[in-house]
Amino acid sequence: MSALAIQNIHKRYGEVETLKGIDIDLESGEFLVLLGSSGCGKSTLLNIIAGLAEPTGGDIRIGERSILGAHPKDRDIAMVFQSYALYPNMSVARNIGFGLEMRKVPPAEREKAVKETAKLLQIENLLARKPSQLSGGQRQRVAIGRALVRNPQVFLFDEPLSNLDAKLRMEMRTELKRLHQMLKTTVVYVTHDQIEAMTLATRIAVMRDGRIEQLGTPEEIYDRPATLYVAGFVGSPPMNILDATVSKEQLLILGDDQPIDMPVHFRSVVADGQRVKVGIRPEALRVAKGGETGAQFKARIEVVELTGPELVTTARIGEQRITACLPPRSAVTAGEDRTFVVDVDVLHLFDPQSGRSLATD
Amino acid sequence: MSGTWITTRAWLLMLPLLVVMTAVIGWPLIDTVRLSFTDAKLVGTEGTFVGLDNYVKVLGGSSFQRALVTTTWFAVVSVTAEMVIGVLAALLLNQQFRGRTALRALMILPWALPTVVNATLWRLIYNPEYGALNAALTQLGLIDSYRSWLGEPGSALTALIVADCWKNFPLVALIALAALQAVPRDITAASLVDGAGPLNRFRYVIMPYLAGPLLVALVLRTIEAFKVFDLIWVMTRGGPANSTRTLSILVYQEAFSFQRAGSGASLALIVTLLVTVLAVAYAGLVRKAAGAS
Repeated sequence: MSALAIQNIHKRYGEVETLKGIDIDLESGEFLVLLGSSGCGKSTLLNIIAGLAEPTGGDIRIGERSILGAHPKDRDIAMVFQSYALYPNMSVARNIGFGLEMRKVPPAEREKAVKETAKLLQIENLLARKPSQLSGGQRQRVAIGRALVRNPQVFLFDEPLSNLDAKLRMEMRTELKRLHQMLKTTVVYVTHDQIEAMTLATRIAVMRDGRIEQLGTPEEIYDRPATLYVAGFVGSPPMNILDATVSKEQLLILGDDQPIDMPVHFRSVVADGQRVKVGIRPEALRVAKGGETGAQFKARIEVVELTGPELVTTARIGEQRITACLPPRSAVTAGEDRTFVVDVDVLHLFDPQSGRSLATD
Repeated sequence: MSGTWITTRAWLLMLPLLVVMTAVIGWPLIDTVRLSFTDAKLVGTEGTFVGLDNYVKVLGGSSFQRALVTTTWFAVVSVTAEMVIGVLAALLLNQQFRGRTALRALMILPWALPTVVNATLWRLIYNPEYGALNAALTQLGLIDSYRSWLGEPGSALTALIVADCWKNFPLVALIALAALQAVPRDITAASLVDGAGPLNRFRYVIMPYLAGPLLVALVLRTIEAFKVFDLIWVMTRGGPANSTRTLSILVYQEAFSFQRAGSGASLALIVTLLVTVLAVAYAGLVRKAAGAS
């Protein structure tokens, strides 16, 4: 039995359909990340699970029962909001315990639960303060505490880290991971940040235009993107997508006269003369030093940016741009022609029309 | 150096306003204070200095005491009712429904009407011969025969309070509605997930956002209600049997109807002092509320 089952959920606002049939089955203890850009429907789906919006069609089940039509308080869920949504007039302790107070949990029991949660989140010294006296990170901990204290079946997170600065976001990400590993809770987490998705999720649902583009583990999403959209969305810098033509079991990259070998697993699915999109992760590219095997192509280096741990190099193959993440001390300079090399096995092939991967699994 | 220059220029720029203010507010105020220590009549006599006689007479007289009670009752009941009805109307107009925008615009109408128009309208409604209220209550079987709502001391003040509420609750509703729209959507959603029902949500989640703006509305309305004149003058002129004679009506009658400028001035200053005390007390409350939030 799944902990949370999202079955064929549709949502329509007048003429606009924001969710077009979403199906996800979540096992207990899973951390599902709904990943997508603004307007893809991920927050709408979260609000539907929470009971803050009603779907036009489909069903949501927590455990064995359908929760459609149930009041948010009766769904056995807790939610953490992007804006923290702390009650400004209440102390931290009361904010955390408010859900229990409304459920008429006796004060002594409530206080014990609040203290335990505060200890878990290392905010015991803040219990008497008001939200206005807290930093962004502290507020977020209180918001998480408010969800944790009720010990619900499913936790919902709506972009909880997007209001924090980069350093704090990383700290809180680790903290969330630690909490999930410790408490083994079932989580649905909405974000547009692919790093958050990759680091936190046990499974990621990449959403686009109200549909799930791909649902899989972070490794599957990264290593075997099902569509051009997923390939471009996950990974930073994003995957290079190059136009190419199939020619006698080889690939001719547009703008490069030297053909490269076709990955073995694609040979049976492409025809001679077929146009394809070739996907190459920037981190899979190396600068050729001579004697390497693999696909090689010449490119003119345009820009070199040192980020610290890597040298992000942008180069041109004819009219096509390509980005490579090279080791920081690589000897490349803007303006020179270099040969790049990549293992043939890590190449991705997509159909230019449908945008779908040509991989057959 | 430049600071001095800026200060001089600022004073120069303010000078015309200061002259006008002194002429239209300062001088009459000073003259009122002077008058209040004399037995001057409105016309004919300059009056002689009588010390605190006017104040002693006014404060000790039953007219003042009765007018103070009437004014306080009028202010407390009408402002309380306006606050309650205003907040309820705002909560209603904050819900999603068809025709909400039209209803919001319509609600402002009573407040936008001039008081004299409002008062005349309510006089027609209360009319003992052809008033709508009498007709409605008779047809509903609640009263047997037409009554003179404004002509009976027992009902006149209540009738005025109803008219005042009708005119002024939209202001409270408008302020409350603006405050309600400032309640973050996430906070309301969080309280839903936390399991707060409508009453608890209002008390713990929405009220903190309403309190500050409502306090401002309370201050404004109380001071206005304490000074009420035009509505009562048009509807009852303080009658019947002085049952609706508020402090402002009393000041008017004393100074202009009875032409006793001296004691009228002392009464006016006492009313001014009372309103000032109210204003200062409320300002303190507002500051405290602002500090708390």
